Order: sequence, then structure tokens, then C-alpha cells
Amino acid sequence: MSHHASPVLLGRRRFLEVAAAFGAVLAVPLDAAIARRGEVADSELTDWVFIDQAGTVTLGLCQPEVGQGSYTVLPSILAEELDADWPAIAVRWVMGRDAYKIQFRNEKPSQKEGASTSTTKLYARLRTAGAAARIMLVSVAAARWGVAAGQCETRDGWVHNRATGEKLAYGTLAPDAAKLPVPSDPPLKERSAFRLIGKSLPRRDTAAKTNGSAIFGLDVTLPGMLNAAIRIAPAIGGWLVDVRNEAEVLKQPGVRHILKLDDAVIAVADRYWQAQRAVDLLDVVFSPGENGHLSTALIDNLAEAGLEAEIGVPALSQGDALRIIGQHPDRVIESRFSVPHLAHAAMEPMNATVHVQKDRVDVWGSIQSTDATVTAVAKICGLHEDQIHLHVGFLGGSFGGKIVPSFVAQAAKAAKALGRPVKLIRTREMDIQHDHFRPNNKGRLRAVLDADGYPLAIHARVCGQSLFATTRPYWLTRTPLGDYDESMVDGLYQQTYAIPNLHVDVIQTPLPIPVYFMRSVGSSAGVLFWESFITDLAHHAGIDQYAYRRHLLRDYPAGLRVLDAAARAAGWDRPAGPDIARGIAFNTYFGRGGSFVSECAEVVELKRVGDRWKVARVVCAMDAGLVVNHNTFNAQIQGGIGFALTSALKSEITFRDGAAEQSNFTDYPLLSIAEMPEIVPVIVESDRPPQGAGEIMVAPLAPALSQALLHATGRRPDRMPFRAEWFQAHA
Amino acid sequence: MSVTFSLNGKPVTFDGPDDVPLLWAVREHFSLTGSKFGCGIGMCGACTMHLDGAAVRTCVMAVGHVRGRAVTTIEGLPTDETNPVHQAWNELDVPQCGYCQSGMIMATTSLLARNPNPTDQDIDQTITNLCRCATYIRIRAAIHAAARRA
Ligand code: FES
Ligand code: FES
Repeated sequence: MSHHASPVLLGRRRFLEVAAAFGAVLAVPLDAAIARRGEVADSELTDWVFIDQAGTVTLGLCQPEVGQGSYTVLPSILAEELDADWPAIAVRWVMGRDAYKIQFRNEKPSQKEGASTSTTKLYARLRTAGAAARIMLVSVAAARWGVAAGQCETRDGWVHNRATGEKLAYGTLAPDAAKLPVPSDPPLKERSAFRLIGKSLPRRDTAAKTNGSAIFGLDVTLPGMLNAAIRIAPAIGGWLVDVRNEAEVLKQPGVRHILKLDDAVIAVADRYWQAQRAVDLLDVVFSPGENGHLSTALIDNLAEAGLEAEIGVPALSQGDALRIIGQHPDRVIESRFSVPHLAHAAMEPMNATVHVQKDRVDVWGSIQSTDATVTAVAKICGLHEDQIHLHVGFLGGSFGGKIVPSFVAQAAKAAKALGRPVKLIRTREMDIQHDHFRPNNKGRLRAVLDADGYPLAIHARVCGQSLFATTRPYWLTRTPLGDYDESMVDGLYQQTYAIPNLHVDVIQTPLPIPVYFMRSVGSSAGVLFWESFITDLAHHAGIDQYAYRRHLLRDYPAGLRVLDAAARAAGWDRPAGPDIARGIAFNTYFGRGGSFVSECAEVVELKRVGDRWKVARVVCAMDAGLVVNHNTFNAQIQGGIGFALTSALKSEITFRDGAAEQSNFTDYPLLSIAEMPEIVPVIVESDRPPQGAGEIMVAPLAPALSQALLHATGRRPDRMPFRAEWFQAHA
Repeated sequence: MSVTFSLNGKPVTFDGPDDVPLLWAVREHFSLTGSKFGCGIGMCGACTMHLDGAAVRTCVMAVGHVRGRAVTTIEGLPTDETNPVHQAWNELDVPQCGYCQSGMIMATTSLLARNPNPTDQDIDQTITNLCRCATYIRIRAAIHAAARRA
């Protein structure tokens, strides 16, 4: 059995045998450590293409499969240019080389999934790698036949000799091809020649995910493995003072060890249920630390004070907005908005399995960020980064939440203390309460309209906790008036609406709360503020919401095209009917550091059902460049809108006594199937290469919904989430 | 302390306290990891199995409760043409991250056994499992497709 046969295709029993044979139980059989030690008997053509003698083509995957479809989409890009036999290819997790790293802004390139970059950033790189490998295979075949390379063509894993009809399999050519230099600038296919890209390929992981054989971090099992449960100090920055009944709990069956960390206590036992029971039994004293006074009221007051501050740090100043607004106090229209902290709440709680040995550490788990995890584990274990071996299987969702490897660090500490493999699983309560949250934000927008009712001047002020200041101070933008965090004004400071005088400024309110990126992060606040305010202005001017936005987009045809497509699909020009109310919103999404530009417009339709308004239908038009896979793209639109609707209707993390108050789906509920609207995706294709897709549909949903509520009820919610009372229908 | 029950058609004996959640008994002692842990309080359905053919949430069910009864997990369902639910799920490519899908399939299989032709309203009331990836549209379509196939 070769090391890289896909267990997904093997059936469960065989898979477990194969997996056990090399000590990794993973659905994606991807042991980079083995590959690096050169034990794999296949020929490496490029960093991404490995072919064994039997002809199995294995493609490298550097981005974890969190649900977005990377396990299907990324290999299909390689296979397209390689002309591999798609149904027969295998996929292997790869890591540790520069080729697998992505540069995020001014950071050192690193290997991780995030910011809608998987396809965007890797598209050209993977095509080039596939095309280069194809040329190498063709050169060998041409030499064997004594013909020019131009005489050969490739199809489904074979090189064909056009003149003679002979053919040679990739597997027989690979050993020689691997000795050739990798061509650096191979010609790529024309779009019209694509057979995989731009189609609707089925996912490669569906069978494993419907028969129970897909292995997630939670399912990793190693010989001699122990299991750990954890209780973390509830207050942010709190610490462990005392464990009062340690000796007694240690007597419980199966319990091996109680490990005290600065801010948490971990119980290690033979079985997870024993460990969890032990943690529940522990009589632990935590100190709230320095943040015991932290509460939502305090957080809100801070942000509100920021909204009133005389001056903010300007992120954009075009024209003379502040002066115009100052000169016409009687004409100023003002609205305020608020969004809370949010938890990611991926369905698979954070977990990691770590095995620490003298000269190497192996790590399994629900890991979204390869390099950050390696760095954290190396530090804890006192080893070199290249002694840390990550085994990444399927992730049960992440949405940005599993990038910060704090849960891996906790598992590593336990594994180091025990000298045996340890799997640590956070309960749902630990997962939600000790997440790195999407930051809060408040916005105050002011405008003066011109004689036609369109904005003459707008001043947008945003205030809240800064994501960058907390996680990446080197991403802050420096100005003479101070630093600002552009993610706080996503959707505001880069405008595609024509606004003659626009001033956007920011005030950070530093908080000790751990925060992180979450699907569409900044724009999920900024676009709510902006588009809801545009709604207010159009409403004030008595102009149709779609027409108003068309006017604002008059200088930006790429956006107009998408707005029109959404309105057309929604039938905006027809009356909505008595029991239907609609709202429309638009956003141009600028990828971080100018990495991409995607357009999205949504129409939300509410339907009156009894005395309630229900979200019945969402039309979502998107231009995200070339769509590599319509099947997964569509799923992303559906899922992204469901995600946005969950935030709009339900999600809020509040704080009290320094701790997050929510901890499970009782108080941090998720959308249910009964609440999922019909979704009409409208793909506006363009000639551009693939742009970011996975986050783009999130931001316009809430403002389109709030506008629909305005039309339905005469009131527009201004604070997320939009609680049930906003949906009350009046007779 | 031991509990004997049938697991996917085979008799098994769990050696341990009666009050261990069935989910963990099955995952840890019988190495069937297709059933997932999502909330631990009976809210999400990721841990759904069948007890004598009906869907139950096993993170809040003591293993002692299934003594002498028949438990089926996702691994115990047929995956061939005889199972319209799998066929529909695969055809419509329902899963995204996939973590909730074992539970969704178990809940659906149990629904269809009692109600071979569920309406949308029946689905809304019965399929209360949660999916953070919001694959609900394909789930609903797959339930209807499975009903048509059966
Ligand atoms: S894990 Fe059992 S219902 Fe959520
Ligand atoms: S597919 Fe990810 S939670 Fe349902």
C-alpha cells in the first residue's frame, strides 16, 4: 500500500488499517513529515504534483478544508492545467515550503486559510504548477518517441502522439520528468479549453461526510492516547488561584493528572468522558484578574463617548464634508448603529491532539493556521519549528475562529506534561466563552443632502475595539493624527458610490477582550452602518432605494451591473404586494491589501405570516470574477447568507464581571432550517480571474433586511442583532 | 457495572457507569466516531443516533437507558442504492464542513420512516438539528428527493 492512497476511497475498515500503519488517522492522508523525509516512492514534478509508478497522480493541498470546498476546488485547478484524470487523482496535505505560503499584506508569508484568499491567491500559482508539470511529462514522451513536443497532446493522465496514435501514461513518464528543470513560465490554457475550471464539479469529500468516515480533529485516535478536558478562568485575563480537591478527583477512575496552567485547569484521563467529569468535579478558585469590572454597559459607554469625541483619526477625507455639515446644522440627518462582539461557534468545538517526543512533536486537530500553530507549539515544547509536524484533516467549520491556536497550545502543554499523546476537547461552553470574538463597533453617520435629495456631504464616525491594534499592530495605518484600523471602516473608507464630500474617521476604544477575524469581519459592521444610512437618506428624500443606489453608482459600471442584476432577479420594478416587503443593499468588497475586488448586491424579501414578518427570500447577485466551481460557489452563497442571517437575527456576546455571558446554543442560538429563506443566486460572470467569494455575501444582508423592515413596519432597527420585536406585524 | 445493547446489529457490552452519555460510550469504547459532539446539551443534534429506529440525541442520554435495546449510528446505515437518504445527500452534494451531517442524515432517516412524504412544515418541525454552515437549503431539497426515491 502506497503512503498516499486516498482512504476516502478505501472504505472505512481498510482506511483504519492503512491509517494505523503510519500512525495517522486522517481522512486527508497527508503526512508531510513522511514526504519530507523522502520515504514516498513517487516522483515529485513540482511542489504540487507527485506521481507514482502505478500512475496515481497526487496533488498537494495547502489550505485546510473547513467546508468551503478547498479539497475539491484547489486540486481541480492543478488538474486542469496538468490534464490529469480528475476522478482518479489523490490529494495530499502539504506544508513547510515557501510555495505553500501566502503573503497577507506586509506580513511574512505564511501558510493559512483566511480572508477569502485560498482561490484568489493560489489560482495563478496552481495553474502554473500544473502546466509546468504537464510540459515536463510531454518532454519525456516526445524524447521517447523522437518527435517534437508540439506533436504531443495530453488528456486524462496520458500523453498522446498525434502522428502515430501511441500513448504513454503519466506514471511511466514521471520518474524521468522529475529530473527535468521546472519551466518557470509555462503557457496556460485559454478559458475556452477548460474542462474542470468554471464547471460544477461535485465535491470530493461528500461520500466521506455522509457515511461517517470523514475524520475531523475530534475523531483522531492514536495508540496510547489520553484525553483532556479544560476549564478556563471565566474572566478575561483571570487566573487560577487554587484547586481545592485535586487529590480527591485524582482518585476517580481513569483520571491520570490534573494540570494547572496560569489561567486554566486541565484534567487528563483515559477517556474523554472521565476527563470531563473530573473537570466538572474540580473545586476551582479563579481570580477575575484585572478585568472583573468589564461589562457590556461599560463597553457601550466607551464606544458612545468615542462617537461624541471632537476629532477622530481620519481614514478618508474627500471634499469638505465636516465644514458643510457644520454650516447646516438644521439640515443634518443623523443615524446611529451598533454591533456587538460575536463568537464564531463553528459546529466542531476547538480541539487538538498532540504527541510530544524527544525530537519531534506531532499535532492533529481542527487547525486553520498552519504556521501560527507550528510557532506556538515549538515554543511550548522548546523544539525547532521544523520538528513540529502538523496533520490537518477536515475541520468542522472555522469562520476564522480556529486560526488562533490557543486550544492547540493548551493541548501541547498537557501532552508535554504527560509524555503521551493527548487529545484536548473544549466543551461548547469553553469554545464560545473563550473564543477570540469579532469586535464590537458603533457608528454615527451624518449627512447633508443636495437639492435633489442625494448626499452632498457625509461624515461617518466609527468607534469600537480595534482588531488590528489587538492582533496586528503593524497593520495599523499611521497618520499625523494617530493610527487607525482600516478594518473598522471597511465598506466606508473605500467608496464606489459618488459622494462629493465624505469624511470617515475612527476612534479606537482599547479593550482587553481577545478578538479575531470572522467571516467578512469589518464589513459586517461597516456595510451595515453605511447601507442602512443610505436607506435613511433615500427614505428621507422620498426616492426609491434601488434608484437611489443606481444614482450613487453612476460612475462605477462594475457595481451597477451587479446591482441591476439583483434588482432584475428580484422583480424590483413590480409592486411587492401587500404581504411582502423588500430591501436592497450593495457593497464593493475590497480584499485586504488590495488583494481582490468583488461586487455584491442583495434583495431581502420579507413575508407576512400571521402577525410576524419572516425572511422569505434573498436574491444575491455577485461578481467575484471567474467562478472556478459553480457547485461550491453556490453552496458558499447559501451558507454565507445563512451565516449573515444568524448574526442579524440572533448573535450577541455580552460581558459581565469580565466574562462572556453566553456559552452554548441556548443563549448563543443558531439559525434553524425553519428560518432559512429561499436563496436566488445570480452569478454575474466577468473576465477577471477568481476574486474573493466566501465572505462577500455576508455584509449586505443585514442592511437589506433592516430596509425591508422599514418598508414593512415603518421602523428600522439600528442595533444588531435585530430582535424579535422588530418583526412584529401590525394589522 | 456494565450495559449490554445492540450496536449496529451486533451485541456489545459497555464496561462502565450507567450514566456515561451514550455518545461518548459509542465514540470512545466502540470506536465509532461518525456521531459528533456539538453542544452536549441536546440542542444541536450532531450526536443523533437511532434507538429502536427513532432519532435520539445521545449526548444527553445515559448509556444505561439503552440496555437491551438497539442503537444504530451513521456507520450502521446502508450506503448503497437501498438507502435513498444517502443517495439524495450525495447527489445534491449537501455537506460543507460536514460536521453536522451524520446527525442530519440520522434525523432525516428517522423522519422518513414515520412520514414517507414530509411537507416543508413537517421538516421545519422535525429537523431541529443545527448546521453552522447553513446547508439547510440542500438538506431540505435532499429530504424531498429522498422521499421521492423511496
Ligand atoms: S451534541 Fe448532542 S445535541 Fe448537540
Ligand atoms: S455542514 Fe458544517 S455544520 Fe453543517
